[in-house]
Amino acid sequence: MSAGMNRSQGLSSLKRKQPDSKSPIESLTEHERILYNLIRSKQDMAIWTRDMKRETNIPDNVLNKSLKSLQAKKLIKEVVTIQNKGRKHYIATEFEPSKEITGGAWYVEGSLDTEFINFLKKHCVKIIYEQKIVTLEEILDTIRRSRAFNVEFTTQQIEEIVNALVLDNEILEVKSTGMGEFNSIPIGKVCYRCASKAGLKAEPKIGAMASIPCGVCPQISLCTPDGIISPTTCVYYTKWLDF
Amino acid sequence: MATPYGIKLAVHLITNHFGNLVAKVCENLLRRGPLTLQQVIRYTELTPQQVKNSLLILIQHNCIQAFSFESQGGFGDGPKANTQYLALFGNILHRMRFPKFLEIVSRELDQECKELLEGLLQNGRLTLVQMVERAKSKRKDGCREDVVQEGLTKLLAAHFVERCPAPEPLVPEPVKVETTSKKRGAKSAKINEESETIEQRVLAAAGPMEAQRFSMITNTEFDVNGETSTDDSPSLIVGEKRKRDSLELDRESTAEEGEVVLWRANFEEFLRRLRHMACIENVRASLDDGAVKVLKAKLDATRGLEKKVKTEKSVPLSLDNIFEEVIKSEEGRVMTLDDVRASLVQLGCPASARGTADSYSIDLKKIIESAQNDEVESIVLKRYGRDAYRIFRLLSKNGRLVETDKISDTTFVEKKDAPKILYKMWKDEYLHMEKLVLAPNRNILLWKVNKRPLWEHVLDEMFHAALNLSLRAAYEWDKEKEVINPLEAMTKEERQKQKNIRILLDSSLLKLDDAIMLFHNF
Repeated sequence: MSAGMNRSQGLSSLKRKQPDSKSPIESLTEHERILYNLIRSKQDMAIWTRDMKRETNIPDNVLNKSLKSLQAKKLIKEVVTIQNKGRKHYIATEFEPSKEITGGAWYVEGSLDTEFINFLKKHCVKIIYEQKIVTLEEILDTIRRSRAFNVEFTTQQIEEIVNALVLDNEILEVKSTGMGEFNSIPIGKVCYRCASKAGLKAEPKIGAMASIPCGVCPQISLCTPDGIISPTTCVYYTKWLDF
Repeated sequence: MATPYGIKLAVHLITNHFGNLVAKVCENLLRRGPLTLQQVIRYTELTPQQVKNSLLILIQHNCIQAFSFESQGGFGDGPKANTQYLALFGNILHRMRFPKFLEIVSRELDQECKELLEGLLQNGRLTLVQMVERAKSKRKDGCREDVVQEGLTKLLAAHFVERCPAPEPLVPEPVKVETTSKKRGAKSAKINEESETIEQRVLAAAGPMEAQRFSMITNTEFDVNGETSTDDSPSLIVGEKRKRDSLELDRESTAEEGEVVLWRANFEEFLRRLRHMACIENVRASLDDGAVKVLKAKLDATRGLEKKVKTEKSVPLSLDNIFEEVIKSEEGRVMTLDDVRASLVQLGCPASARGTADSYSIDLKKIIESAQNDEVESIVLKRYGRDAYRIFRLLSKNGRLVETDKISDTTFVEKKDAPKILYKMWKDEYLHMEKLVLAPNRNILLWKVNKRPLWEHVLDEMFHAALNLSLRAAYEWDKEKEVINPLEAMTKEERQKQKNIRILLDSSLLKLDDAIMLFHNF
């Protein structure tokens, strides 16, 4: 569960202090210095190797050699960006990659930490189904008290999770009316409740169109009454009607 | 909204019921809009007699309406009529809903009424005398005329049956805007077009007056007049009729009325009932029983006051009156005034009203829209998966353009996967996309759910699917008939399986038709 968070913390522990004694900066070649200054100037945004080449006009082989040397001297490090995992980005070791690069709390090594997110989602759904109607603060409070996670969540993080659950149609966002089931919540306050009235988790209702082959058919635009794909020769139909 | 596959489905229905010739005439009218007899003959390349007969059948079954434009500018000539025929797309589709209409009547009225309606649906339009004859021939023990009349009265009171519209109303030519202000002209013409289609204008001109529409009492003199004087302007007759009605209100002429007045099923009322049922079912899925009871009671009480099928908000009713309606039913009797008030809040009525005299109105349009969303979202989920479902719901709720990055962040979809999912839905016309160029080599994509064109696209796919279900059912039926010969008789299991297949196809079609109505009629 908290594996994801630990991993990202592990990443930050990789950051090492520069040795104070002999500063390696002094022993840099001309090309290395140009590159280092460029990478440092980008701060926490990091820079793609192709952009370095474009901005400095250093030939490929020299560039690669210089980057290796800078890395060996622990002046720069490679970072994975969530946008383009294949593109090599570098950042000066004194900086931590920005949220735009790492994707923020929900990412580990440039990938969405789906296992962790799904665990947290399930936990939130459980809270909402147990308490019937809750506000965001109440969810956060319950999570904190439960000690199920060894990381602290911000209100914004929980809000992101809850919003995704609303989009999943697992829970509903409602405004308190101050009456009946809402009587402990101020009028107008946004709160969350179970999507199905019985309190049982239900899959979204399958509509009339989605329950027949044509509703999900990828070839429907090619299907005509007398064409190669037609309702009388359709394989999806044959499969559907074979019970 | 007669979409391409909607027209194909309509032609398929007409072919099934009346054969190829009639279908050919009908298809031309559906595709080309209103035509004169000569034009239909030219386009279909059928003989005049064939076309005439086809048109008569279609009129008899309420699938087309004849009309003529009032030609202006002629001095002294009087209005020159040139009859045109307009296909009624909606009415043609209603033909697949007849079982639903019959079920409503058999639930709300009695067997007698159901049989009368059945006769009207099978024959399109009938006079009272014809209805009596039909009833007599159906029953060996003989059927008394007053029983039929009583049944018709009940059907009229419930608005299930109405008087047929005028055979050929005069419709004023569409107002042409002066060409001097071209820009404004184009705009206002567009508004005109949106507010009233030719079909709406023709039907408005043809329909009987509200007071006459559901009334058994008739004016014989007028009907004779209507039959014989075709040169007369019907609009004039309407005016006269009103005067005569008021003059002869107390003079009942029951002797010959059945012979001249034609009756037909009132599709509008059936659609209203089906729409209300759809609203109730949708509320049942999300809210508690109290809200369902209150909505049902409220709709039952105000149904007769609704002016059109697509009523956006239910007719206002005071809390006292709603409560009175709710406790009429056995299951409603357990509710208190506070329960009813709380249910109204659940149904979206403002909670502030504390008095019992304040009137409440429920937003039916919102309920229908939510049902439409559910239907489309369920297609997206099945076709594109869970991530796409979340993305679609985000864009559908948002209603604005959202950039790819923001979408993947909010929906927790991997950055590299989001564009693929979005592109797939865009290719199938489920999403609208816009490219924003920030710099020569940097642009971002923005996405949005464009509901109006999408709803039309989904409706067209539904028409397509309905046509497919119907074609497949016919194919299975043929297969069964081929096999049922003495040589290779089916085993008992095979026969049962074939029967189950047809039940599945038929019930799927009825269910799909509910969804079609949701997008087309509600």
